[in-house]
Amino acid sequence: MLCPPIGGDVQNITLDAVVIDTTIQSVAGLGSEPTLLLASRGDTLDTRVIIRFDSLPSTFIPTGDTSQAITSVDSAYIQLRVDTLTVNGTGPFTIEAYDVDTTATDTATAAVIALFRPDRLISSQVLARSDLKDTTRYFISNQAVLAKLQSGARLRVGLRVAGPASSQIRISSAERGAPPVLFFRATPDTATKPLSVQPLSKTPADDPIVARQLTDYTIIVKGPPRAPLSLLSVGGLPSRRVYFRFDIPLNITDSTTVVRATLLLNQLSNPAIDPTDTVAIVPELVLAGRAVTDPAKASEITAAITGDTLRVRPGDSGLTGVELARAFSIWRQQKPDTLPRAIVLRTLDEGNSPLEVWFSTISDVNPAVRPRLRISYTSRVPLRVP
Amino acid sequence: MRKLLVAISVALISSRGGAQGALSLQGLGYPSGGFSARAEATGGGLADFDALSLVNPATLAGVGSPALFFQYSPEFRRVTAGSSSAKTTTARFPLVVGVLPMGQQWTLGLSSSSFLDRSSETSLIRRQVVGGSTDTVNVTERSRVLGAINDVRLALAWARSPVFKIGVGAHVFAGSNRIAFAQLFPDSARYISTSQSGRLSFAGFAGSLGIEYHPSRAIGFALAGRKGGNLTAQSGDTTVGSARLPDHYSASVIFEGIPGASISARVAHDAWSSLESLSSSNTRAFDGWDTGVGAEAPGPRIMQRLITLRAGARFRTLPFGFNGEKVSETSFTAGLGAPLARDRASFDFSIQRANRSTGGDVKERGIILSFGLRVSP
Repeated sequence: MLCPPIGGDVQNITLDAVVIDTTIQSVAGLGSEPTLLLASRGDTLDTRVIIRFDSLPSTFIPTGDTSQAITSVDSAYIQLRVDTLTVNGTGPFTIEAYDVDTTATDTATAAVIALFRPDRLISSQVLARSDLKDTTRYFISNQAVLAKLQSGARLRVGLRVAGPASSQIRISSAERGAPPVLFFRATPDTATKPLSVQPLSKTPADDPIVARQLTDYTIIVKGPPRAPLSLLSVGGLPSRRVYFRFDIPLNITDSTTVVRATLLLNQLSNPAIDPTDTVAIVPELVLAGRAVTDPAKASEITAAITGDTLRVRPGDSGLTGVELARAFSIWRQQKPDTLPRAIVLRTLDEGNSPLEVWFSTISDVNPAVRPRLRISYTSRVPLRVP
Repeated sequence: MRKLLVAISVALISSRGGAQGALSLQGLGYPSGGFSARAEATGGGLADFDALSLVNPATLAGVGSPALFFQYSPEFRRVTAGSSSAKTTTARFPLVVGVLPMGQQWTLGLSSSSFLDRSSETSLIRRQVVGGSTDTVNVTERSRVLGAINDVRLALAWARSPVFKIGVGAHVFAGSNRIAFAQLFPDSARYISTSQSGRLSFAGFAGSLGIEYHPSRAIGFALAGRKGGNLTAQSGDTTVGSARLPDHYSASVIFEGIPGASISARVAHDAWSSLESLSSSNTRAFDGWDTGVGAEAPGPRIMQRLITLRAGARFRTLPFGFNGEKVSETSFTAGLGAPLARDRASFDFSIQRANRSTGGDVKERGIILSFGLRVSP
């Protein structure tokens, strides 16, 4: 009662504060994705999944017996953890497995893609939509597995979804902790448990981190069309991020309290693929100092800021906003020389989804659609004698 | 004085005035008066004759034995403005007194009382545009002040007989207001709530003189005055304001012609306007009269203890105005006192019903309970 407003009114200003905006390729690295994308979307998208079993057992222990050499393989299958909520397509899904073992450089995806040819076909299985469950068994050739383990060779399987129908399946990867696992029986005797083989990559031998990432990975044979160079794009395959750097007047960051900040973006419709699906975009604070002048490198040195997630549909267009108030609370504590006022926009499904969202840039001929920064702030209240 | 603010007033309306949410908490705060529970129960009529009240240092003379006195005074307020109302509670410990006789004629007293108590907490909800022109959001402004300016008095009194007493006091006015202000937004993902805190410290000096004269057993008179010195306010090590402490004068009369009973009346004047220059928001302070009348009489015996009953009324002007208008306070009081531990201690209780108003449609009602305990070690 009787208490008048003490704080002043919130002031709202919109600034052309974006000085750099650029689309950059996410360099998260082959095989670092948490899910494997197995997709065939006609002329738009074609991705394959590679699983490496570089170590296969040569012996087994039958129940009640001693160790024996494996001389037969029965019921061989790869257990896949499928994200059933994101399956695209009504099926049936024809999934083909190829022997993609090669001596080419590990990251040479073109050499691997070239091995998806008939003479390398291991098996093919047709799965109905109802067959795709959280745990799905994909059966492969027993003879192929037996030949590999008896010769001491590596089993590197490339999966491809074939057929005219549009198909897209997400499979959990080793990075998520639930990799594809190979199972088979070394004896027809069902009293003996099947053997399970975890994926393993022994190459590159000199880089165990990359080797671990390459136990399973996605390769992109054909990605969705790239955004025009005159636009900013977030998401897609290969995944892209947008780097923004701001020039914010010091009197706002130093002398006032920013209560809300919104990066205003003009979205442009991208009808290429799933235009009505939702894409979640999050801002990340760029931690790279001024010494890192390359936006592509700076955009990999980021920190998440707890904030609002922007949810948009690629096919939509018009004004949208990314909330950045949390970034201002950090910028307030660091000078621009130490911490440049920069953020990166990326999708939550970075590397796992072909969806891509387009925005206008600061180079757009129409000033009204350029990215801008809207800041809401209050002035500090003098706490004085009443 | 330690203050504990218990409740929050939720603002339903806003109006120009001070930062506080009650009529009695405008400006630098509420003057609790330095009265003991006994003096409060008689409308302040007894204050100039009461050794445990801080208005007349002469009353310390003739106390007889060392004594310690503590008082606790919670206030329950209800502020009404038109059809809106709000309830608040403030708990105060407004008075601590120590008395030490030094021989037959001299008595030393050290005491502390709340001079101006500013403890308050307000909450105001404002509709604000934050972002685009259609992005409106409720912003909660929460302002909290804890603390008071306290009057610490060292007094010396002399009396050769009960007929005439005289006393002087040296006052140190010290204290602080801890201020916290926050603007709270509902959605932490989009908005950042803000908070500020500060501390205002006060320091000042004053001197007081008082006499008490009883020409007969039936009647007595008392005069007291306090001359204020400079009061400065500091934030950190920066002086943010200064003013003169208000001069205070009072005169009282007591009739004790009825055995065991007394009727007393008091009139006092406070030059509160001298504090106006301390204000940074042009809060007006008004000189004011403080008048009270009350009676004290023996009541029933309970558990072999004679209960003293008291009643009174008081009218005064509060120091700080609201919207430029004077705030007046009319109180009706009652209370009782009981000896404890073979008169080595006593308990006093009073209840005041105070009505405060400016003449406009804003009114405030306060119920103040005071519990005093005197102990003679």
